[in-house]
Amino acid sequence: MEDAWIKFGQTVICGILLGGMYSLIAIGMTLIMGVMKIINLAHGALVMVGMYVTYICSTNYGIDPYIGMFIAMPVLFLLGCLIQKYMINRLVEVDSILPENQVLLTVGIMLVLTEGIRLFFKSDYRSVVTSYSSNTVFLGDMSISVPLVIGFIIAMTFTFLLHMFLTKTDLGKSIRATSQDRDAAVFMGVNSSKITMITFGLGAALAAAGGSLLLPLFYLFPDVGHLFTAKSFIITILGGLGSTWGAAIGGLVIGLSESLGATYISMGYKDVVGLVMFILVLLFLPGGIRSLVKR
Amino acid sequence: MLRVTNIDVAYKDVQVLWDISFEVNQGEFVALLGANGAGKTTTLNAISGLLKVKKGAIEFLGKDITQLPGYKIAELGIIHVPEGRRLFPEMTVRENLEMGSLFPEAKAKRKETMKKIFEQFPILEEKQNKEAGTLSGGQQQMLALGRGLMALPKLLILDEPSLGLAPVLVTQIFDNIKEINNEGVTVLQVEQNVVQTLKMCHRAYVLENGKIYTQGTGEELLNDEHIKEAYLGI
Repeated sequence: MEDAWIKFGQTVICGILLGGMYSLIAIGMTLIMGVMKIINLAHGALVMVGMYVTYICSTNYGIDPYIGMFIAMPVLFLLGCLIQKYMINRLVEVDSILPENQVLLTVGIMLVLTEGIRLFFKSDYRSVVTSYSSNTVFLGDMSISVPLVIGFIIAMTFTFLLHMFLTKTDLGKSIRATSQDRDAAVFMGVNSSKITMITFGLGAALAAAGGSLLLPLFYLFPDVGHLFTAKSFIITILGGLGSTWGAAIGGLVIGLSESLGATYISMGYKDVVGLVMFILVLLFLPGGIRSLVKR
Repeated sequence: MLRVTNIDVAYKDVQVLWDISFEVNQGEFVALLGANGAGKTTTLNAISGLLKVKKGAIEFLGKDITQLPGYKIAELGIIHVPEGRRLFPEMTVRENLEMGSLFPEAKAKRKETMKKIFEQFPILEEKQNKEAGTLSGGQQQMLALGRGLMALPKLLILDEPSLGLAPVLVTQIFDNIKEINNEGVTVLQVEQNVVQTLKMCHRAYVLENGKIYTQGTGEELLNDEHIKEAYLGI
């Protein structure tokens, strides 16, 4: 009986910790969704590229992944800005191309990024080994992996900083205003194309941050991005499209349910739990968590 | 101050404005009147850069603004308060007002301007931390006006500020607009509420089917036979 409770507590805590990092990635996707009104299906590929940047920093230059992420983030910010400005924006400017079709371009970008990385790094599974990778902390009788704890704390710090940025600075408020009413924002003097570019860059940087935090926990290979695209898409839907708080909570929910699924059903079925939740949300709560909070 | 010369505007292949010309002088209150679909909103959207002009020119304070992007036009001092308020519904009243003062000049006076707006619209101060989407129609229109004023506009463009408001609120909003104009802000207003608008504006242009049908002072137009018949039902 005692053991069962320990197992349960450990499952719940690990799930929430992992979910915190999923949240960070999904917030990036939901920000882009809010401003551009499209789901960025290249989001997972951006996570993957961010992970490779951190990986190279770690294996070639001996930079710890938690420091390497501060290199990966600006690199991905720049990459995101370039992708938005020179690729996606060219479709936005053509009236006859519907937003639905802009999504197809993000699929193309995803393929190019994935195969581009495969060209350089092959399909090999890689992992970063740090001195603390396999360390655990004990909470009572529950053992929890150190990278999970550090990752969660950093992810929550970023989420908080992002919240401050979006609510306290003019640039952050302009991003929110653009996602709520693009034309009205322009009437107030917001350069909406610049805001869109910055938002995409910011989303990519958050993807890189989340990816780097997960690097000590996941194997790295070019196709790992698909997993993250699927997860953040599910979280974005669960949270309510374009809602940052919804995505933050949604990430925790998905992390928790995956963890419960892995412990009590089977490791191999843990992703199924997330997908089942996705279907249930679409059927019974199409507005996501955000619709629950609203009046 | 604002000079529109022979502009044509089209949505893709469908042309909606033909050869529109008019001007607004410093300090004036000019109205653009007409029935639904006459092209009033389109004219305003062309001025503020949301729509591209096919032919003709728009000049503001002696500067050609025809090809400028919308945000640059706002920076020059043309602030457009769009039809249906178009607030940022999930931002608070205060945040909406702050969004009105993004440019350095307006930002420097943000607190001061906001205080003035709170004096004119006390209800906005009371509800400053509420989300804009939770306000009533009249309060939303006040916020839309306030947000526009936060930019310290030289020319305030108002699109149907009376839309969807109860008659008593319409009178109140119109009083507010008159007051704003008296304080020196030039106003260009589009309205379907013809009588009340003609009574308070200096001059008006009447649009019909995408063309300027006639123009004159408020009083002249109130006595115009065609206007009486078409818009006043007399």
